[in-house]
Amino acid sequence: MPNPIANPQYLIAMNAPIIAIDRVTKTYDSGGGTVTALHDVSFSIQAGEFIALIGPSGCGKSTLMRLVGDLDQPSAGSIQVKGKPPRQARLDRDYGIVFQSPVLYDWRTVRKNVELPLEIMGRTEPARQERSRAMLQLVGLQDFGEAYPWQLSGGMQQRVSIARALSFDPALLLMDEPFGALDEITRERMQAELLLICGDAGADTTVIFVTHSIPEAVFLADRVVVMSPRPGRIERVVDIDLPRPRDIATRESPRYFELVTEVRESLRES
Amino acid sequence: MKDEALLTNDERRTTKAASAPSSFFLGLSSSWLLPSLAFCLMIVLWEAVVRGFNVPLYLLPAPSGILGAFFQQPGYLLQIGLFTFGEALAGFAIGCGLGALVAAICVRFPLLAEGLVPFSVGSNAVPIVALSPLLGIWLGSISPASKIGVVAIMTFFPTLINVYRGLTSPSPDTLQLMRSYAARQRDIFLKLRLPAALPYLFNALKICASLSMIGAIVSEFFGGRQSALGVYIKSQAGLLRLRECWSGILMACILGIVFYLLIAAAERLVMPWHMSFRRER
Repeated sequence: MPNPIANPQYLIAMNAPIIAIDRVTKTYDSGGGTVTALHDVSFSIQAGEFIALIGPSGCGKSTLMRLVGDLDQPSAGSIQVKGKPPRQARLDRDYGIVFQSPVLYDWRTVRKNVELPLEIMGRTEPARQERSRAMLQLVGLQDFGEAYPWQLSGGMQQRVSIARALSFDPALLLMDEPFGALDEITRERMQAELLLICGDAGADTTVIFVTHSIPEAVFLADRVVVMSPRPGRIERVVDIDLPRPRDIATRESPRYFELVTEVRESLRES
Repeated sequence: MKDEALLTNDERRTTKAASAPSSFFLGLSSSWLLPSLAFCLMIVLWEAVVRGFNVPLYLLPAPSGILGAFFQQPGYLLQIGLFTFGEALAGFAIGCGLGALVAAICVRFPLLAEGLVPFSVGSNAVPIVALSPLLGIWLGSISPASKIGVVAIMTFFPTLINVYRGLTSPSPDTLQLMRSYAARQRDIFLKLRLPAALPYLFNALKICASLSMIGAIVSEFFGGRQSALGVYIKSQAGLLRLRECWSGILMACILGIVFYLLIAAAERLVMPWHMSFRRER
Protein backbone atom coordinates (compact mmCIF):
# COMPACT_ATOMS: atom_id res chain seq x y z
CA MET A 1 0.00 0.00 0.00
CA PRO A 2 1.41 3.43 -0.87
CA ASN A 3 2.35 5.64 2.02
CA PRO A 4 -0.34 8.36 2.27
CA ILE A 5 2.07 10.94 3.65
CA ALA A 6 4.57 10.39 0.86
CA ASN A 7 1.82 10.54 -1.74
CA PRO A 8 -0.45 13.50 -1.04
CA GLN A 9 -2.77 12.78 -3.96
CA TYR A 10 -3.51 9.39 -2.41
CA LEU A 11 -4.39 11.12 0.86
CA ILE A 12 -6.95 13.23 -0.97
CA ALA A 13 -8.37 10.17 -2.67
CA MET A 14 -8.73 8.42 0.66
CA ASN A 15 -10.66 11.25 2.24
CA ALA A 16 -12.96 11.95 -0.70
CA PRO A 17 -16.29 10.16 -0.27
CA ILE A 18 -16.91 7.23 -2.61
CA ILE A 19 -20.51 8.41 -2.95
CA ALA A 20 -21.59 12.02 -2.75
CA ILE A 21 -25.31 12.73 -2.91
CA ASP A 22 -25.95 16.45 -3.29
CA ARG A 23 -29.43 17.99 -2.86
CA VAL A 24 -31.14 15.23 -4.78
CA THR A 25 -34.86 15.40 -5.50
CA LYS A 26 -36.86 12.77 -7.31
CA THR A 27 -40.44 13.25 -8.46
CA TYR A 28 -42.67 10.87 -10.37
CA ASP A 29 -45.67 11.64 -12.52
CA SER A 30 -48.54 9.52 -11.32
CA GLY A 31 -51.85 9.97 -13.06
CA GLY A 32 -53.01 13.49 -12.20
CA GLY A 33 -50.25 14.92 -10.00
CA THR A 34 -46.62 14.48 -9.20
CA VAL A 35 -45.33 12.43 -6.27
CA THR A 36 -42.15 13.55 -4.54
CA ALA A 37 -40.24 10.39 -3.69
CA LEU A 38 -37.18 12.24 -2.42
CA HIS A 39 -36.84 15.86 -1.44
CA ASP A 40 -33.49 17.66 -1.22
CA VAL A 41 -31.44 14.75 0.09
CA SER A 42 -27.72 15.21 0.73
CA PHE A 43 -25.46 12.50 2.09
CA SER A 44 -21.99 11.14 1.57
CA ILE A 45 -20.51 7.70 2.07
CA GLN A 46 -16.86 6.77 2.66
CA ALA A 47 -15.20 3.85 0.91
CA GLY A 48 -15.66 0.59 2.81
CA GLU A 49 -18.63 1.84 4.82
CA PHE A 50 -21.69 -0.30 5.43
CA ILE A 51 -24.74 1.96 5.22
CA ALA A 52 -28.26 0.82 6.09
CA LEU A 53 -31.23 2.81 4.76
CA ILE A 54 -34.31 2.34 6.89
CA GLY A 55 -37.75 3.88 6.99
CA PRO A 56 -41.45 3.22 6.44
CA SER A 57 -42.86 2.46 3.00
CA GLY A 58 -42.78 5.46 0.71
CA CYS A 59 -39.80 7.13 2.40
CA GLY A 60 -37.74 6.78 -0.77
CA LYS A 61 -35.04 4.45 0.57
CA SER A 62 -35.22 2.13 -2.44
CA THR A 63 -35.44 5.13 -4.74
CA LEU A 64 -32.26 6.55 -3.24
CA MET A 65 -30.46 3.24 -3.79
CA ARG A 66 -31.74 3.05 -7.34
CA LEU A 67 -30.55 6.59 -8.09
CA VAL A 68 -27.08 5.74 -6.82
CA GLY A 69 -27.08 2.62 -9.00
CA ASP A 70 -28.26 4.50 -12.11
CA LEU A 71 -31.38 2.34 -12.32
CA ASP A 72 -33.23 5.66 -12.27
CA GLN A 73 -32.24 9.33 -12.67
CA PRO A 74 -32.74 12.19 -10.19
CA SER A 75 -35.10 15.03 -11.10
CA ALA A 76 -32.76 17.58 -9.50
CA GLY A 77 -29.41 17.58 -7.71
CA SER A 78 -26.41 15.43 -8.47
CA ILE A 79 -24.79 12.17 -7.44
CA GLN A 80 -21.10 11.34 -7.74
CA VAL A 81 -19.81 7.80 -7.45
CA LYS A 82 -16.03 7.47 -7.26
CA GLY A 83 -15.94 11.00 -8.67
CA LYS A 84 -18.05 10.00 -11.67
CA PRO A 85 -21.72 10.31 -12.58
CA PRO A 86 -23.64 7.11 -11.71
CA ARG A 87 -24.09 6.28 -15.39
CA GLN A 88 -20.35 6.17 -15.91
CA ALA A 89 -19.92 4.12 -12.74
CA ARG A 90 -22.47 1.65 -14.07
CA LEU A 91 -20.71 1.42 -17.42
CA ASP A 92 -17.47 0.86 -15.48
CA ARG A 93 -19.21 -2.01 -13.67
CA ASP A 94 -18.84 -0.56 -10.20
CA TYR A 95 -22.17 -1.94 -8.94
CA GLY A 96 -23.16 -5.34 -7.66
CA ILE A 97 -26.91 -5.43 -7.06
CA VAL A 98 -28.97 -7.82 -4.93
CA PHE A 99 -32.75 -7.57 -4.98
CA GLN A 100 -35.33 -8.95 -2.58
CA SER A 101 -36.01 -11.84 -4.93
CA PRO A 102 -32.87 -13.70 -6.04
CA VAL A 103 -33.72 -13.27 -9.77
CA LEU A 104 -31.69 -16.28 -10.82
CA TYR A 105 -31.97 -17.64 -14.35
CA ASP A 106 -33.90 -20.92 -14.32
CA TRP A 107 -32.03 -22.28 -17.32
CA ARG A 108 -28.60 -21.81 -15.81
CA THR A 109 -26.97 -23.91 -13.15
CA VAL A 110 -25.91 -22.21 -9.93
CA ARG A 111 -22.34 -21.92 -11.23
CA LYS A 112 -23.49 -20.51 -14.56
CA ASN A 113 -25.67 -17.98 -12.76
CA VAL A 114 -22.67 -16.75 -10.80
CA GLU A 115 -20.67 -16.56 -14.02
CA LEU A 116 -23.33 -14.57 -15.90
CA PRO A 117 -21.87 -11.09 -15.25
CA LEU A 118 -18.39 -12.39 -16.04
CA GLU A 119 -19.63 -13.74 -19.38
CA ILE A 120 -21.17 -10.39 -20.21
CA MET A 121 -17.95 -8.66 -19.24
CA GLY A 122 -16.03 -10.91 -21.58
CA ARG A 123 -13.86 -12.82 -19.09
CA THR A 124 -12.28 -16.02 -20.33
CA GLU A 125 -13.70 -19.43 -19.47
CA PRO A 126 -10.88 -20.43 -17.04
CA ALA A 127 -11.05 -17.05 -15.31
CA ARG A 128 -14.82 -17.39 -14.95
CA GLN A 129 -14.58 -20.86 -13.51
CA GLU A 130 -11.93 -19.93 -11.02
CA ARG A 131 -13.94 -16.94 -9.89
CA SER A 132 -17.26 -18.81 -9.58
CA ARG A 133 -15.57 -21.56 -7.59
CA ALA A 134 -14.15 -19.02 -5.15
CA MET A 135 -17.46 -17.17 -4.88
CA LEU A 136 -19.49 -20.33 -4.27
CA GLN A 137 -17.02 -21.34 -1.59
CA LEU A 138 -17.39 -17.91 -0.02
CA VAL A 139 -21.15 -18.34 0.34
CA GLY A 140 -20.86 -22.01 1.32
CA LEU A 141 -22.39 -23.49 -1.81
CA GLN A 142 -19.32 -25.15 -3.31
CA ASP A 143 -21.18 -28.48 -3.60
CA PHE A 144 -24.12 -26.97 -5.43
CA GLY A 145 -22.48 -25.49 -8.52
CA GLU A 146 -24.14 -27.92 -10.92
CA ALA A 147 -27.59 -27.74 -9.27
CA TYR A 148 -30.37 -25.68 -10.77
CA PRO A 149 -31.81 -22.75 -8.79
CA TRP A 150 -35.17 -24.47 -8.21
CA GLN A 151 -33.38 -27.25 -6.36
CA LEU A 152 -32.22 -24.81 -3.67
CA SER A 153 -34.03 -23.28 -0.68
CA GLY A 154 -34.85 -19.57 -0.61
CA GLY A 155 -31.88 -18.72 1.59
CA MET A 156 -29.49 -20.65 -0.65
CA GLN A 157 -30.88 -18.92 -3.73
CA GLN A 158 -30.21 -15.55 -2.14
CA ARG A 159 -26.64 -16.68 -1.38
CA VAL A 160 -26.20 -17.44 -5.08
CA SER A 161 -27.50 -13.98 -5.86
CA ILE A 162 -24.92 -12.46 -3.48
CA ALA A 163 -22.14 -14.59 -4.99
CA ARG A 164 -23.19 -13.37 -8.43
CA ALA A 165 -23.16 -9.72 -7.32
CA LEU A 166 -19.66 -10.11 -5.87
CA SER A 167 -18.30 -12.22 -8.73
CA PHE A 168 -16.83 -9.29 -10.65
CA ASP A 169 -15.56 -7.60 -7.50
CA PRO A 170 -17.57 -4.37 -7.72
CA ALA A 171 -16.58 -1.41 -5.56
CA LEU A 172 -20.18 -1.03 -4.41
CA LEU A 173 -22.75 -3.52 -3.27
CA LEU A 174 -26.36 -2.29 -3.49
CA MET A 175 -28.83 -4.48 -1.62
CA ASP A 176 -32.58 -3.82 -1.72
CA GLU A 177 -34.16 -5.74 1.17
CA PRO A 178 -32.20 -8.85 0.22
CA PHE A 179 -33.37 -10.89 3.23
CA GLY A 180 -36.93 -9.54 3.29
CA ALA A 181 -38.47 -12.73 1.95
CA LEU A 182 -36.62 -15.10 4.30
CA ASP A 183 -37.79 -16.51 7.61
CA GLU A 184 -36.35 -14.99 10.80
CA ILE A 185 -33.88 -17.81 11.53
CA THR A 186 -32.45 -17.95 8.02
CA ARG A 187 -32.41 -14.19 8.01
CA GLU A 188 -30.17 -13.89 11.10
CA ARG A 189 -27.82 -16.50 9.73
CA MET A 190 -27.61 -14.69 6.39
CA GLN A 191 -26.83 -11.42 8.19
CA ALA A 192 -23.90 -13.04 9.98
CA GLU A 193 -22.67 -14.52 6.71
CA LEU A 194 -22.95 -11.20 4.93
CA LEU A 195 -20.73 -9.60 7.58
CA LEU A 196 -18.18 -12.37 7.16
CA ILE A 197 -18.16 -11.79 3.41
CA CYS A 198 -18.10 -8.03 3.21
CA GLY A 199 -18.85 -6.28 6.47
CA ASP A 200 -16.08 -6.97 8.94
CA ALA A 201 -12.31 -7.13 8.82
CA GLY A 202 -10.53 -5.88 5.74
CA ALA A 203 -13.69 -5.08 3.85
CA ASP A 204 -13.08 -2.80 0.91
CA THR A 205 -16.58 -3.20 -0.49
CA THR A 206 -18.94 -0.31 0.22
CA VAL A 207 -22.46 -1.53 0.94
CA ILE A 208 -25.79 0.26 0.73
CA PHE A 209 -28.38 -1.95 2.37
CA VAL A 210 -32.09 -1.10 2.23
CA THR A 211 -34.19 -2.70 4.95
CA HIS A 212 -37.41 -2.57 6.96
CA SER A 213 -35.88 -4.24 9.96
CA ILE A 214 -34.37 -2.20 12.79
CA PRO A 215 -32.34 -5.06 14.36
CA GLU A 216 -30.98 -5.96 10.93
CA ALA A 217 -29.89 -2.39 10.21
CA VAL A 218 -28.19 -2.00 13.61
CA PHE A 219 -26.47 -5.38 13.48
CA LEU A 220 -25.02 -4.85 10.00
CA ALA A 221 -24.28 -1.19 9.50
CA ASP A 222 -21.63 1.37 10.36
CA ARG A 223 -24.28 4.05 10.00
CA VAL A 224 -28.05 3.73 9.90
CA VAL A 225 -29.81 6.35 7.78
CA VAL A 226 -33.34 6.85 9.10
CA MET A 227 -35.67 8.18 6.43
CA SER A 228 -39.20 9.55 6.61
CA PRO A 229 -41.95 9.81 4.00
CA ARG A 230 -44.01 12.53 2.30
CA PRO A 231 -41.73 13.80 0.99
CA GLY A 232 -38.91 11.28 1.32
CA ARG A 233 -36.02 12.75 3.28
CA ILE A 234 -33.28 11.84 5.73
CA GLU A 235 -34.58 12.16 9.28
CA ARG A 236 -31.42 11.21 11.18
CA VAL A 237 -28.18 9.33 10.79
CA VAL A 238 -27.33 7.02 13.69
CA ASP A 239 -23.67 5.99 14.10
CA ILE A 240 -23.41 2.35 15.08
CA ASP A 241 -20.31 2.07 17.25
CA LEU A 242 -20.62 -1.65 17.95
CA PRO A 243 -17.22 -3.35 17.71
CA ARG A 244 -16.43 -5.65 14.79
CA PRO A 245 -16.38 -8.50 14.11
CA ARG A 246 -19.98 -8.77 15.20
CA ASP A 247 -21.57 -12.05 16.22
CA ILE A 248 -24.31 -13.46 18.44
CA ALA A 249 -22.74 -11.75 21.48
CA THR A 250 -23.25 -8.43 19.68
CA ARG A 251 -26.97 -9.08 19.43
CA GLU A 252 -27.12 -9.63 23.18
CA SER A 253 -25.02 -6.66 24.24
CA PRO A 254 -26.64 -3.69 26.08
CA ARG A 255 -25.18 -1.23 23.56
CA TYR A 256 -26.95 -3.10 20.74
CA PHE A 257 -30.30 -2.69 22.51
CA GLU A 258 -29.61 1.00 23.15
CA LEU A 259 -28.93 1.55 19.46
CA VAL A 260 -32.00 -0.42 18.39
CA THR A 261 -34.07 1.76 20.71
CA GLU A 262 -32.46 4.89 19.36
CA VAL A 263 -33.24 3.96 15.76
CA ARG A 264 -36.77 2.95 16.72
CA GLU A 265 -37.38 6.29 18.41
CA SER A 266 -36.08 8.24 15.41
CA LEU A 267 -38.41 6.23 13.22
CA ARG A 268 -41.32 7.07 15.48
CA GLU A 269 -40.53 10.78 15.25
CA SER A 270 -40.45 10.64 11.48
CA MET B 1 -11.64 -19.80 1.90
CA LYS B 2 -11.98 -18.71 5.46
CA ASP B 3 -15.24 -20.35 6.37
CA GLU B 4 -16.50 -23.81 5.88
CA ALA B 5 -19.80 -24.63 4.32
CA LEU B 6 -22.26 -22.52 6.21
CA LEU B 7 -25.14 -24.88 5.59
CA THR B 8 -26.76 -26.94 8.25
CA ASN B 9 -27.22 -30.64 7.64
CA ASP B 10 -30.90 -29.97 7.62
CA GLU B 11 -30.53 -27.76 4.63
CA ARG B 12 -28.42 -30.31 2.84
CA ARG B 13 -31.07 -32.93 3.29
CA THR B 14 -33.93 -30.84 2.00
CA THR B 15 -32.19 -30.07 -1.25
CA LYS B 16 -31.34 -32.58 -3.89
CA ALA B 17 -28.61 -31.01 -5.87
CA ALA B 18 -26.74 -32.44 -8.84
CA SER B 19 -28.66 -35.75 -8.81
CA ALA B 20 -31.10 -34.79 -11.53
CA PRO B 21 -34.16 -36.97 -12.06
CA SER B 22 -32.80 -40.10 -13.72
CA SER B 23 -36.00 -42.06 -14.22
CA PHE B 24 -36.77 -40.23 -17.44
CA PHE B 25 -38.38 -43.13 -19.28
CA LEU B 26 -40.00 -44.60 -16.22
CA GLY B 27 -41.76 -41.32 -15.57
CA LEU B 28 -42.78 -41.17 -19.20
CA SER B 29 -44.27 -44.65 -19.20
CA SER B 30 -46.18 -44.26 -15.94
CA SER B 31 -47.79 -41.05 -17.13
CA TRP B 32 -48.75 -42.79 -20.37
CA LEU B 33 -50.17 -45.93 -18.80
CA LEU B 34 -53.66 -44.66 -18.01
CA PRO B 35 -54.26 -42.85 -21.29
CA SER B 36 -53.13 -45.96 -23.21
CA LEU B 37 -55.50 -48.12 -21.21
CA ALA B 38 -58.37 -45.71 -21.84
CA PHE B 39 -57.56 -45.70 -25.55
CA CYS B 40 -57.57 -49.51 -25.79
CA LEU B 41 -60.82 -49.70 -23.89
CA MET B 42 -62.37 -47.23 -26.30
CA ILE B 43 -61.28 -49.28 -29.34
CA VAL B 44 -62.64 -52.48 -27.82
CA LEU B 45 -65.96 -50.77 -27.03
CA TRP B 46 -66.12 -49.37 -30.57
CA GLU B 47 -65.55 -52.82 -32.07
CA ALA B 48 -68.15 -54.37 -29.74
CA VAL B 49 -70.80 -51.75 -30.49
CA VAL B 50 -70.36 -52.01 -34.26
CA ARG B 51 -70.56 -55.81 -34.20
CA GLY B 52 -73.23 -56.15 -31.50
CA PHE B 53 -75.66 -53.61 -32.95
CA ASN B 54 -74.83 -54.37 -36.60
CA VAL B 55 -74.04 -50.72 -37.28
CA PRO B 56 -74.20 -50.19 -41.06
CA LEU B 57 -70.86 -49.57 -42.76
CA TYR B 58 -71.75 -46.10 -44.01
CA LEU B 59 -72.31 -44.95 -40.41
CA LEU B 60 -69.23 -46.43 -38.78
CA PRO B 61 -66.87 -49.23 -39.79
CA ALA B 62 -65.35 -51.43 -37.09
CA PRO B 63 -61.72 -50.73 -36.05
CA SER B 64 -60.78 -54.15 -37.37
CA GLY B 65 -62.15 -53.20 -40.80
CA ILE B 66 -60.26 -49.91 -40.77
CA LEU B 67 -57.03 -51.64 -39.76
CA GLY B 68 -57.63 -54.23 -42.50
CA ALA B 69 -57.95 -51.48 -45.11
CA PHE B 70 -54.92 -49.75 -43.63
CA PHE B 71 -52.71 -52.82 -43.91
CA GLN B 72 -53.85 -53.56 -47.46
CA GLN B 73 -51.80 -50.59 -48.64
CA PRO B 74 -49.70 -49.22 -45.79
CA GLY B 75 -46.91 -48.15 -48.15
CA TYR B 76 -49.25 -46.15 -50.35
CA LEU B 77 -50.94 -44.49 -47.38
CA LEU B 78 -47.56 -43.59 -45.92
CA GLN B 79 -46.46 -42.16 -49.25
CA ILE B 80 -49.48 -39.88 -49.71
CA GLY B 81 -49.37 -39.11 -46.00
CA LEU B 82 -45.77 -37.98 -46.23
CA PHE B 83 -46.61 -35.82 -49.23
CA THR B 84 -49.21 -33.97 -47.16
CA PHE B 85 -46.94 -33.99 -44.16
CA GLY B 86 -44.31 -32.32 -46.33
CA GLU B 87 -46.76 -29.52 -47.17
CA ALA B 88 -47.63 -29.17 -43.49
CA LEU B 89 -43.96 -29.09 -42.51
CA ALA B 90 -43.06 -26.49 -45.14
CA GLY B 91 -45.95 -24.25 -44.08
CA PHE B 92 -45.06 -24.84 -40.44
CA ALA B 93 -41.45 -23.84 -41.02
CA ILE B 94 -42.42 -20.69 -42.92
CA GLY B 95 -45.23 -19.65 -40.54
CA CYS B 96 -43.40 -20.39 -37.28
CA GLY B 97 -40.10 -19.03 -38.57
CA LEU B 98 -41.63 -15.75 -39.72
CA GLY B 99 -43.75 -15.54 -36.57
CA ALA B 100 -40.70 -15.87 -34.32
CA LEU B 101 -38.74 -13.40 -36.43
CA VAL B 102 -41.48 -10.77 -36.37
CA ALA B 103 -41.81 -11.30 -32.59
CA ALA B 104 -38.11 -10.57 -32.18
CA ILE B 105 -38.44 -7.43 -34.31
CA CYS B 106 -41.45 -6.36 -32.21
CA VAL B 107 -39.31 -6.49 -29.06
CA ARG B 108 -36.79 -4.16 -30.68
CA PHE B 109 -39.49 -1.76 -31.92
CA PRO B 110 -42.22 -1.49 -29.27
CA LEU B 111 -44.38 0.70 -31.49
CA LEU B 112 -44.64 -2.13 -34.00
CA ALA B 113 -45.63 -4.50 -31.20
CA GLU B 114 -48.37 -2.15 -30.03
CA GLY B 115 -49.89 -2.18 -33.48
CA LEU B 116 -49.35 -5.80 -34.38
CA VAL B 117 -49.86 -7.86 -31.25
CA PRO B 118 -53.51 -7.02 -30.41
CA PHE B 119 -54.38 -7.53 -34.05
CA SER B 120 -52.66 -10.93 -34.03
CA VAL B 121 -54.53 -11.97 -30.90
CA GLY B 122 -57.74 -11.05 -32.70
CA SER B 123 -56.76 -13.12 -35.72
CA ASN B 124 -56.92 -16.20 -33.49
CA ALA B 125 -60.68 -15.97 -33.72
CA VAL B 126 -60.59 -15.99 -37.53
CA PRO B 127 -61.02 -19.42 -39.16
CA ILE B 128 -58.05 -19.05 -41.49
CA VAL B 129 -58.71 -22.39 -43.12
CA ALA B 130 -61.75 -20.69 -44.70
CA LEU B 131 -59.25 -18.83 -46.87
CA SER B 132 -58.28 -22.10 -48.57
CA PRO B 133 -60.39 -21.63 -51.71
CA LEU B 134 -58.95 -18.14 -52.14
CA LEU B 135 -55.40 -19.34 -51.74
CA GLY B 136 -56.27 -21.98 -54.32
CA ILE B 137 -57.12 -19.19 -56.74
CA TRP B 138 -53.97 -17.21 -55.88
CA LEU B 139 -51.42 -20.00 -55.76
CA GLY B 140 -53.09 -22.72 -57.87
CA SER B 141 -55.66 -25.06 -56.38
CA ILE B 142 -53.75 -28.20 -57.41
CA SER B 143 -50.32 -26.93 -56.43
CA PRO B 144 -48.91 -27.68 -52.95
CA ALA B 145 -48.12 -23.95 -52.69
CA SER B 146 -51.71 -23.11 -51.78
CA LYS B 147 -51.66 -25.67 -48.93
CA ILE B 148 -48.31 -24.43 -47.70
CA GLY B 149 -49.75 -20.91 -47.81
CA VAL B 150 -52.76 -21.84 -45.66
CA VAL B 151 -50.56 -23.60 -43.11
CA ALA B 152 -48.08 -20.72 -43.02
CA ILE B 153 -50.86 -18.21 -42.27
CA MET B 154 -52.43 -20.51 -39.68
CA THR B 155 -49.18 -21.00 -37.77
CA PHE B 156 -47.81 -17.46 -38.10
CA PHE B 157 -50.05 -15.71 -35.59
CA PRO B 158 -49.94 -18.17 -32.67
CA THR B 159 -46.14 -18.24 -32.95
CA LEU B 160 -45.90 -14.45 -33.13
CA ILE B 161 -48.07 -13.97 -30.03
CA ASN B 162 -46.46 -16.69 -27.95
CA VAL B 163 -42.87 -15.84 -28.78
CA TYR B 164 -43.52 -12.14 -28.23
CA ARG B 165 -44.96 -12.93 -24.80
CA GLY B 166 -41.95 -15.09 -24.05
CA LEU B 167 -39.42 -12.51 -25.16
CA THR B 168 -41.09 -9.86 -23.00
CA SER B 169 -41.57 -12.19 -20.01
CA PRO B 170 -38.35 -11.33 -18.08
CA SER B 171 -39.21 -9.31 -14.96
CA PRO B 172 -38.06 -5.69 -14.51
CA ASP B 173 -35.58 -6.94 -11.89
CA THR B 174 -33.83 -9.29 -14.32
CA LEU B 175 -33.62 -6.54 -16.92
CA GLN B 176 -32.21 -4.10 -14.36
CA LEU B 177 -29.65 -6.65 -13.35
CA MET B 178 -28.52 -6.78 -16.98
CA ARG B 179 -28.48 -2.99 -17.00
CA SER B 180 -26.25 -2.96 -13.92
CA TYR B 181 -23.77 -5.18 -15.76
CA ALA B 182 -23.80 -2.66 -18.62
CA ALA B 183 -24.87 -5.53 -20.88
CA ARG B 184 -25.17 -4.92 -24.60
CA GLN B 185 -28.55 -5.37 -26.33
CA ARG B 186 -27.19 -8.49 -27.99
CA ASP B 187 -26.34 -10.09 -24.65
CA ILE B 188 -29.71 -9.14 -23.17
CA PHE B 189 -31.40 -10.82 -26.12
CA LEU B 190 -29.25 -13.94 -26.30
CA LYS B 191 -28.67 -14.57 -22.61
CA LEU B 192 -31.99 -13.41 -21.17
CA ARG B 193 -34.88 -12.90 -23.57
CA LEU B 194 -34.26 -15.87 -25.82
CA PRO B 195 -33.87 -18.55 -23.12
CA ALA B 196 -36.87 -17.04 -21.29
CA ALA B 197 -38.91 -17.33 -24.49
CA LEU B 198 -38.08 -21.00 -25.17
CA PRO B 199 -40.98 -22.47 -23.15
CA TYR B 200 -43.35 -20.12 -24.96
CA LEU B 201 -41.82 -21.00 -28.33
CA PHE B 202 -42.26 -24.73 -27.77
CA ASN B 203 -45.81 -24.17 -26.63
CA ALA B 204 -46.45 -22.40 -29.92
CA LEU B 205 -44.70 -25.13 -31.93
CA LYS B 206 -46.84 -27.82 -30.32
CA ILE B 207 -50.03 -25.92 -31.10
CA CYS B 208 -48.81 -25.28 -34.63
CA ALA B 209 -47.86 -28.92 -35.24
CA SER B 210 -51.51 -29.91 -34.85
CA LEU B 211 -52.72 -26.84 -36.72
CA SER B 212 -50.45 -27.49 -39.68
CA MET B 213 -51.73 -31.04 -40.28
CA ILE B 214 -55.31 -29.76 -40.03
CA GLY B 215 -54.54 -26.91 -42.41
CA ALA B 216 -52.83 -29.09 -45.00
CA ILE B 217 -55.51 -31.81 -45.07
CA VAL B 218 -58.52 -29.48 -45.03
CA SER B 219 -57.11 -27.32 -47.80
CA GLU B 220 -56.52 -30.45 -49.86
CA PHE B 221 -60.27 -31.06 -49.66
CA PHE B 222 -60.61 -28.05 -51.96
CA GLY B 223 -58.36 -29.64 -54.54
CA GLY B 224 -54.86 -31.01 -54.83
CA ARG B 225 -52.63 -33.68 -56.32
CA GLN B 226 -53.95 -37.24 -56.52
CA SER B 227 -50.98 -38.23 -54.38
CA ALA B 228 -52.19 -36.21 -51.38
CA LEU B 229 -53.78 -37.61 -48.22
CA GLY B 230 -56.58 -35.03 -48.03
CA VAL B 231 -57.55 -35.68 -51.64
CA TYR B 232 -57.55 -39.43 -50.96
CA ILE B 233 -59.75 -39.10 -47.86
CA LYS B 234 -62.24 -36.91 -49.70
CA SER B 235 -62.39 -39.05 -52.86
CA GLN B 236 -62.79 -42.31 -50.93
CA ALA B 237 -65.62 -40.73 -48.93
CA GLY B 238 -67.25 -39.66 -52.21
CA LEU B 239 -67.05 -43.24 -53.47
CA LEU B 240 -68.46 -44.49 -50.15
CA ARG B 241 -65.32 -46.61 -49.70
CA LEU B 242 -65.52 -45.83 -46.01
CA ARG B 243 -62.97 -48.31 -44.66
CA GLU B 244 -60.41 -46.81 -47.03
CA CYS B 245 -61.52 -43.32 -46.08
CA TRP B 246 -61.03 -44.13 -42.40
CA SER B 247 -57.65 -45.71 -43.05
CA GLY B 248 -56.59 -42.36 -44.55
CA ILE B 249 -57.84 -40.58 -41.44
CA LEU B 250 -55.85 -43.07 -39.35
CA MET B 251 -52.69 -42.17 -41.28
CA ALA B 252 -53.41 -38.48 -40.68
CA CYS B 253 -53.75 -39.16 -36.94
CA ILE B 254 -50.48 -41.09 -36.84
CA LEU B 255 -48.57 -38.35 -38.64
CA GLY B 256 -50.10 -35.65 -36.48
CA ILE B 257 -49.15 -37.47 -33.30
CA VAL B 258 -45.63 -38.21 -34.54
CA PHE B 259 -45.16 -34.54 -35.43
CA TYR B 260 -46.29 -33.47 -31.96
CA LEU B 261 -44.07 -36.02 -30.23
CA LEU B 262 -41.02 -34.96 -32.23
CA ILE B 263 -41.50 -31.42 -31.00
CA ALA B 264 -42.11 -32.54 -27.42
CA ALA B 265 -38.86 -34.55 -27.60
CA ALA B 266 -36.96 -31.55 -28.98
CA GLU B 267 -38.37 -29.50 -26.11
CA ARG B 268 -36.94 -31.89 -23.53
CA LEU B 269 -33.58 -31.85 -25.27
CA VAL B 270 -33.38 -28.07 -25.55
CA MET B 271 -34.63 -27.13 -22.10
CA PRO B 272 -34.14 -29.95 -19.59
CA TRP B 273 -34.24 -27.32 -16.84
CA HIS B 274 -37.86 -26.43 -17.38
CA MET B 275 -40.48 -26.56 -14.65
CA SER B 276 -42.72 -29.06 -16.40
CA PHE B 277 -39.97 -31.70 -16.32
CA ARG B 278 -39.31 -31.34 -12.60
CA ARG B 279 -40.68 -34.07 -10.50
CA GLU B 280 -39.26 -33.72 -7.06
CA ARG B 281 -37.75 -31.12 -4.87
